[in-house]
Amino acid sequence: MDADLRIRGAERGPAVVFRFDGRDVPAFEGETVSAALWASGIRSWSAGEMAGPPPRALFCAMGVCQQCAVWIDGTRVEACRTPVRAGLVVQGRPLW
Amino acid sequence: MVTDLFDVAILGAGPAGAAAAIEASRCRLNAILIDEQASAGGQVYRCAPGIDAAHADPDREEGNALREALSDADIERKFGYRVWHVEKAEAGFRLHALGPEGPVTITTKALVVATGALERYVPFLGWEQPGVMGLASATVLLKAQQMLPGRNVVVAGAGPLLYAVAKGIVEGGGQVAAVVDAQPRRAWWRHARELASRPDLVKRGYSWMRVLRSAGVTVLHRYALHSVVAYGRELRAIIAPIAADGSPQSGLTRYHVNCDAVCCGYGLMPDTYVTRLLGAAHVYDASLGGWHVVVDEDQRCDVPGLYAAGDVAGVVGAAAAPNQGRVAVLSIARDLRRLNDREFAWHAAADKRVRARAARFGKVMTQIARIGDGAIATLPPDVTMCVCERVQKATLETAIGDGCATINDLKRATRCGMGPCGGRLCEDAVARLVALKTSRSRAAIGQSTARPPLRPVGLDAIAGTFDYDALPMPVPAPL
Amino acid sequence: MSGYPPPFDLAVIGAGIMGATAALRAAAGGMRVLVLERDVAGSGASGVNAGTLSLQIKRVGLIPYALIGHEWWRRAGDAVGFKCTGGYTLAFNEREQALLEERMARKREAGAPITLVTPSAVRAREPALSDRIVAASYCAEDGHADSTTTGRYLRSLLKSANVELREYRQVRSIESGGYGFRMTTPMGPIAARQLLIASGAWTSSVAAMLGVSLPVEVRVNTVTVTEPGPQRLLAGIGHATGLLTLKQKSNGSYLIGGGWQGIGGPDSGNGMIVGETLLQNLRLARFAVPAIADVRVLRSWTGFEAFVADYWPLAGALPGVPGAFVLACVRGGYTIGPCIGPLVADLILGREPALPLFDPGRVIAAENSTNALAPAAG
Repeated sequence: MDADLRIRGAERGPAVVFRFDGRDVPAFEGETVSAALWASGIRSWSAGEMAGPPPRALFCAMGVCQQCAVWIDGTRVEACRTPVRAGLVVQGRPLW
Repeated sequence: MVTDLFDVAILGAGPAGAAAAIEASRCRLNAILIDEQASAGGQVYRCAPGIDAAHADPDREEGNALREALSDADIERKFGYRVWHVEKAEAGFRLHALGPEGPVTITTKALVVATGALERYVPFLGWEQPGVMGLASATVLLKAQQMLPGRNVVVAGAGPLLYAVAKGIVEGGGQVAAVVDAQPRRAWWRHARELASRPDLVKRGYSWMRVLRSAGVTVLHRYALHSVVAYGRELRAIIAPIAADGSPQSGLTRYHVNCDAVCCGYGLMPDTYVTRLLGAAHVYDASLGGWHVVVDEDQRCDVPGLYAAGDVAGVVGAAAAPNQGRVAVLSIARDLRRLNDREFAWHAAADKRVRARAARFGKVMTQIARIGDGAIATLPPDVTMCVCERVQKATLETAIGDGCATINDLKRATRCGMGPCGGRLCEDAVARLVALKTSRSRAAIGQSTARPPLRPVGLDAIAGTFDYDALPMPVPAPL
Repeated sequence: MSGYPPPFDLAVIGAGIMGATAALRAAAGGMRVLVLERDVAGSGASGVNAGTLSLQIKRVGLIPYALIGHEWWRRAGDAVGFKCTGGYTLAFNEREQALLEERMARKREAGAPITLVTPSAVRAREPALSDRIVAASYCAEDGHADSTTTGRYLRSLLKSANVELREYRQVRSIESGGYGFRMTTPMGPIAARQLLIASGAWTSSVAAMLGVSLPVEVRVNTVTVTEPGPQRLLAGIGHATGLLTLKQKSNGSYLIGGGWQGIGGPDSGNGMIVGETLLQNLRLARFAVPAIADVRVLRSWTGFEAFVADYWPLAGALPGVPGAFVLACVRGGYTIGPCIGPLVADLILGREPALPLFDPGRVIAAENSTNALAPAAG
């Protein structure tokens, strides 16, 4: 758990673990997928052959730039607007 | 599902929209408030459920007060709903939205657009690197997520957000490798009179500077990011001196700074996508953040039934927003004949006065948050201008040379602005480039045509469940 | 004094697929041609349509023209993103099946290489399609181009052929006389001996400048593009009623069309999307190709498609105005333009067009006879 980026002294929700591209990512409830990835040092990932902007975990943090778009349950969502929860399975690109 | 007809729909639950909603409740209008986020506050008072600030923060307190006041309002709420299309309807407007309970269509007589502002980005070599983000984005991380953008951060751009972010990083236990301010120190003092109207904010600004000074943070004035490159697992930023017009200045030191994150932004611009889609009149005014929807003194747009409040009508800051929201709703109440002219004038007077006063300060902040056109003119040809479609400056310059003279022309010719962000990241910088190359005004260059969906939405999600046999297929074409 | 510059042999009003291909042929025939365009080349229907090049959706009587036009696109190749993908037309109930079988039989008779295929054969080749297909047809020649490249491509063709193209030149008025025609534009007057109106949705307003009232109406067609998705669809997809076109581009994004109507018209600027209509279009697409459910919709827009009541082209002499011609209202015009444009140019050159044209005079006669049938007052 990389505590360096999380500001000490802030109250957070209960600790959870979700999966990103097959790895476990520790997080706290209330965090967005983007922020949790960021804190874990995951700042970008491969888009494979998919066209579109080069992905990164964070740029605008407001659901505008679409660069943080990830796949959850077969649909594409903005990671910066998706709250983490235990057991969430997130992919940087669709499983095909 | 399709709702019944509302008196007023308020799009956006930031300071303007939330105040509008509270006023609508007070005026006993049948109102609905829609926001994409899970709770009210917009970007300026954004919070995440379950995460509380480590340090005292006046914005957090104001946001909590806003959410508290809103919780008592007798209105419909649709939080977590993304509006993907707005169109005129017989009775007023129809909004198509998608949220946790599926698709919904909202019909309303009047619409208040309180969509706020977007951050303005000025491209630089390497701005598409992971590790580079905006200043507003850094603010979201710091405040709503209580997280540092990095352990050793370069904070660059112009305007008050620059110092707010730097202070937030230091206070949060991180290091600021440098604050890179495009503006000279004296930029602030030119507006001493307007600044004096908000001693509380001036005091706050001073306290930020004290925090930065105590931490020994280097603050560079008249400097800007030249480039950012990957450097092992981190980044290396080159920071270069600039002249008053934003172009590089020779003869002064360039800095090479190792860091793990770069936060860069140049102020805010109104988010006019919805008002453009509805065909309202817009005007370009650099002192108000650029293109904004035109409103009269009662917050009416030139489209009947359409009103706008907050930064979408010109970036003047959070303090001037609630007043606009209230005046917009009072106007609606009068236009719907629930208030007579005298009642309206009486209720709106105080808000109009406060709005004018608050706007003066906010306007100054907007004017300080800029970098000169030279910064764009001197960008190397291989800088990516449109990140979504990976369009380089050289491609745009060629197209402009071939005769492209408007944003829409460039879009057609180069695909710039056709990506998933809808031009929100690049359009301002690209328009500035066109202005520089063709000597045309921003008004002549125009804005891109707004098209639905306002933001990407899942096809299945908006299509919903349906019966094939119930699809109203028009008569097939003749053979 | 040197006097006015010599008039052009032919002025073409409109630099879409119709005007540009006609201009190229006229120039090849020895005429000095000028193309005037109110915006930029290919900014109208030619540049915003869904790019479908399908023989299956053409009117029976236009199939010979479509076959020739199709060849032009094939030769243009990479410059326009041409892809020959094959295409299926699908039917999901008995009524649609009857429509499909009857129509495709007639189109095959007219020369289009269309065959009927079984639903299981379709799904074997395109597993992403609906399992509710009841009947289907296939044409190996069907494909698509990237309509956003049209303008650029036409501009380069005109330049190579030394045909002068003047963009941002909206024609404000036209005078006709013994010398030919004199058009006023924002950049001054233009004189030409002969005139071709190829103005798409603006055809009737341009014809009106010559005192001719053409009953041209305008459809406001909705087109939608999605985010890229996994490559799941190779062929182009159509519907028995013609109300769906669906293709997956090489970058993975889907283009959805079919002529669902928005609102507005050329006079009010851009057309506008009608939310509920868009949803119906998307539902039909989703039904035909369930795989499309996963992707996000990025952008929907409208394009104007001019037509007259009988849905046949206007291609020939403009009635009552010697030396003036019109080419517009061609259903399936994107495919057919490169065939019919040159045919009209042949007519203008005084040659016999290789295929019959479509006399614009017929719609004026129809209008007049309708008026004559109006009940007498009182």
